[in-house]
Amino acid sequence: MVQERKFLKGPRLRNPADYDFPGLQRALKMEPEEVIQEISESKLLGRGGAGFPTGTKWDMAFKEEGEFKYIICNADEGEPGTFKDRYLLDERTLKVLEGMLIGAYVIDADYGYIYIRGEYFKSIKILQEALEEAREAGILGENILGSDFSFDIKLVRGAGCYVCGDETSLLNSLEGMRGQSRTKPPYPISKGLCGCPTLVNNVESLACVAEILHQGASEFATMGTEDSKGTKLVCLSGDVNYPGVYEVEFGSSTLQEIITDLGGGPRKSHDIKFVIPGGLSTRILTRDKLDYKYSYEGLEEAGSSLGSGGVMVVGSEQDLTAILTRIARFYMDESCGTCFPCREGNQQIYKIISRVGKGKFTVNQLEIIEDLGNAMAEAARCGLGQSAQYPTGTILAEFKEELVEGAVY
Amino acid sequence: MIELTIDNKKVAVEPNTTLLEAANEINVNIPTLCFADDLTVYGGCRLCVVEVEGENRLRPACNTRARQGMVVKTHSPRVREVRETLFELIIASHDISCELNCLTCSRKSSCQLKDVAEDIDVSRMRLEPGDEEEEYDRSSHSIVREPNKCITCARCIRKCEEIQGVGVFAKASRGPETRVTTFKDKGMGNVECTNCGQCVVSCPTGALHEVYHMEKVWDALYDEDKHVIVQTAPSVRVAIAEAFGEEPGTIATGQMVAALRRLGFDRVFDTNFTADLTIMEEGTEVVDRVVNNDRLPVLTSCSPGWIKFIEHFYPEHLENLSSAKSPQQMFGAVAKNYYAEKIGISPDDLVVVSIMPCTAKKFEARRPEMSDDVDYVLTTREAARMLKSVGVNACDLEPEDYDEMLGVSSGAGDIFGASGGVMEAAIRTAYNLITGEELEEIEITPVRGLQGLKTASIPVTEDLTLRVGIAHGLNNAKKMMEKIKAGEEFHFVEFMACPGGCISGGGQPINTELTWQEVRERRIASLYEIDENKEMRRSHLNPKIKKLYEEYLEEPGSAKAHKLLHTDYTVRGVPGA
Amino acid sequence: MLQQDNDILLEMAHDIQDTYGYIPEREITQLAEKFSEPRAKIYGALEFYSMLYTEPTGKYIVRICDSISCFLHDSDEVLEAVQDYLELESGETSDDKLFTLEVVECLGHCGEGPVMMVNDRMYTELTSGRAIEILSECQ
Repeated sequence: MVQERKFLKGPRLRNPADYDFPGLQRALKMEPEEVIQEISESKLLGRGGAGFPTGTKWDMAFKEEGEFKYIICNADEGEPGTFKDRYLLDERTLKVLEGMLIGAYVIDADYGYIYIRGEYFKSIKILQEALEEAREAGILGENILGSDFSFDIKLVRGAGCYVCGDETSLLNSLEGMRGQSRTKPPYPISKGLCGCPTLVNNVESLACVAEILHQGASEFATMGTEDSKGTKLVCLSGDVNYPGVYEVEFGSSTLQEIITDLGGGPRKSHDIKFVIPGGLSTRILTRDKLDYKYSYEGLEEAGSSLGSGGVMVVGSEQDLTAILTRIARFYMDESCGTCFPCREGNQQIYKIISRVGKGKFTVNQLEIIEDLGNAMAEAARCGLGQSAQYPTGTILAEFKEELVEGAVY
Repeated sequence: MIELTIDNKKVAVEPNTTLLEAANEINVNIPTLCFADDLTVYGGCRLCVVEVEGENRLRPACNTRARQGMVVKTHSPRVREVRETLFELIIASHDISCELNCLTCSRKSSCQLKDVAEDIDVSRMRLEPGDEEEEYDRSSHSIVREPNKCITCARCIRKCEEIQGVGVFAKASRGPETRVTTFKDKGMGNVECTNCGQCVVSCPTGALHEVYHMEKVWDALYDEDKHVIVQTAPSVRVAIAEAFGEEPGTIATGQMVAALRRLGFDRVFDTNFTADLTIMEEGTEVVDRVVNNDRLPVLTSCSPGWIKFIEHFYPEHLENLSSAKSPQQMFGAVAKNYYAEKIGISPDDLVVVSIMPCTAKKFEARRPEMSDDVDYVLTTREAARMLKSVGVNACDLEPEDYDEMLGVSSGAGDIFGASGGVMEAAIRTAYNLITGEELEEIEITPVRGLQGLKTASIPVTEDLTLRVGIAHGLNNAKKMMEKIKAGEEFHFVEFMACPGGCISGGGQPINTELTWQEVRERRIASLYEIDENKEMRRSHLNPKIKKLYEEYLEEPGSAKAHKLLHTDYTVRGVPGA
Repeated sequence: MLQQDNDILLEMAHDIQDTYGYIPEREITQLAEKFSEPRAKIYGALEFYSMLYTEPTGKYIVRICDSISCFLHDSDEVLEAVQDYLELESGETSDDKLFTLEVVECLGHCGEGPVMMVNDRMYTELTSGRAIEILSECQ
């Protein structure tokens, strides 16, 4: 029986009066290099979806010279099936702020932004209050906790746009432009907000940092596998009995165990048809591929990726074309409209799928969708277009028999 | 130097060279659509994607810098497959239907989609085109926008913002609703559009074109009760041949005159004639204002795109504009008054048509203060289309001369079409007006060329050195205005809305082969060649101009001249600002 | 530089919208002036974001998630019931300007679907009946 491992999770933490910021206290007594060393030793990987080593990113940001430096907390959680950042923002508010303050201290950032989804009205309110109270308590502003370190944060509300979760789109959005991705290089670390070095971290990564500094890198690194250290907040949703955010130690369980033990198994009489394991933009895993250990490498071995940690369970009685239609509509509506393959490709895929309706795909239609998916993966400008074909392509491939007219196997 | 391998060929390039440029150096043509050599890189169409060894995805050649040791394949099977699918997507987004197909398109002979289709040898078209009806934007006097043909490559947006500094267009919404539009979808005629038409010439498709006056001109030509005359702007003669397959810069003055007679115009006149007249009026005004230190600097007023620009963005400087009408409108006024009187017909039976390199001239002709002196304005492209449709080639006829009365001009008139040309023409005459002598060094090279902002000091007398400035392209115009606002002193400043001057106007033939720079240089060189080959190169020496003053206008700046040849301007601003 | 508090377009747009319910034309022009950008560009940027409105909306903006997790919990039925009740399709505003209906992508409450937002309030684990009850209380 899988148990939750409570490393990030814990009691509600919103009011600075009730919290002494132990991670930050400790960091402020250390040299920035030592903090980076500690993060690197923890082997923390970015929790936003891309899985880049946080220690390396911080080191680069630290070494980057610039008149002005920014740190940004990416709280634009929009990947379908993902709601763990909202949990942290609402319940462990000060841990996120703490992680951000540690980052700001380490890279010597002049200013910070929290870019939060505009739809998270409740979280916005909580954060606004927390920031205000933190200022009053001397956690933000001049000479934080009596040190030489001064820093402040502004909360910026997004406005209903998935692609702004991409860090370069987020920067454009902050600069008052359309939230379309930038071509890389240059990377935000060297030329980010207004051309200044900018460190962008996900909410969960920052909460991890706060705990690593508090409990120590060694404590963090005792958990998990060789390549996946620590814990992960997993968002269970779809056809499970107990959906929600669960904290799972990497490597301690399989996806199947998470679904059965934590999620209470498939909902109603459903069997599992497939699982989308890392937020919508990941390849699906069929029932027979759920016995890999839940870790970055485990899910890769299974043929997908850990992504954002959004695990969506789809029961056997669900209508596949209806699901495909919604997936296609999502990418179509959320495409920023800049590059042709993503803007037109997702639109065409949606057209074809919605035209199929309750019927079946022809072999021709399938081939066109594959070609379009391939063109997007090869030539789209950013992650949205490049990964749009993962769920659609794998559903079509795995359930060909069910979906395609006259398919012979 | 950076060495890399493209299609198995080694090539060495300067740091920061893009793969597109590097491929170009070894004559490998990579198809592009959203790329334009005068605009920032956009990276939208992705047609230029290439395979780079060691990278798991294809990379856009327009936006990928060459790196040492890079191995690039520009036309591998993987690349060609993706390119073809991309092209299918583009065509599906570009409305081609029976009612509205390529045959009636404004760009039937200069369509870049067709070029790309050929470049990648398209063999399939499996996707259904968009079926949404989109309303045309017909709000402007100058330009029509057909959104169904728009592929959202943002070239018009970039051109208007980066080169013209105006920013009439923007991309709005996202996903399938992504569209190019104007502020609050008001339409080009209802916003701060200058009508310059640079968007038209940068569009790869037929989504933007001029408001056609062809039908109206046909009607007039077919109407036996009408006396229809035509004027041709300086820049038309060095560009119209391109529409008949000739190289940019081909001079076709006489052939064009002959062709227009074939088309049925009763008289073929030259806007150069009134360019000379403009110099007389504007030159006199400049001299007068310089001597009296009155509202300096004097700003030129012959580019209607510039006029609308200053009315929107610098209305506080309208008093600096010369009050002289543009050559087109002076021609209209002279024709409807002097010419009609001379040949004894009622102005109502006289139809004045102009052929202009310009889309803004269509708007200018409709300005209320111009009292419909010019009835219709054809762009160079429209004129070429009309000639083709009656089987006339504007390049291979026996050259003929303009009709005399309003058709004789000095070389000073010809160079009006190039940036710096009005200034040079004005200096040639102003020198004479001030000193009574002729300027010896007639070619004033500091004011020539494609440099965005030009300044020069021209010694006239011991006490007076004329300080002049030239700006072409409205973004440069903006820079010049900021200099003036900051207190930099000039006597006289020339402004042209289009980059390079009228030769690259929004109504000129669209060349999809050469770079923009090359096209402009060739057309400009031809104008200076015409000037150089003329005996008469000073406006004030034009005998027909002298005659016009003697017989009708009395003298430059007279009350009569003022009534007919001068105008005023409208404070427009940007609403709400 | 951006370090001052008031120079983030998105935040300013939100504030304007919080005041007027949408972003009126003159405000867009003023934003353009503040940022020294063409007004078309600011308009285009605002139009990019689905939560920013350049035209007036209904008093209540009803957003229903029809993304995967909610769909697996029958959001389509809730959506249909609400569409029938309001007599609106996605993106439409009722004649009395009371409601604007929007079908939206994931609202980040995937564990509690189906979900609906009415202005800034979130309602979770909805049934069709409950959804209509909530809307019937909006006046």
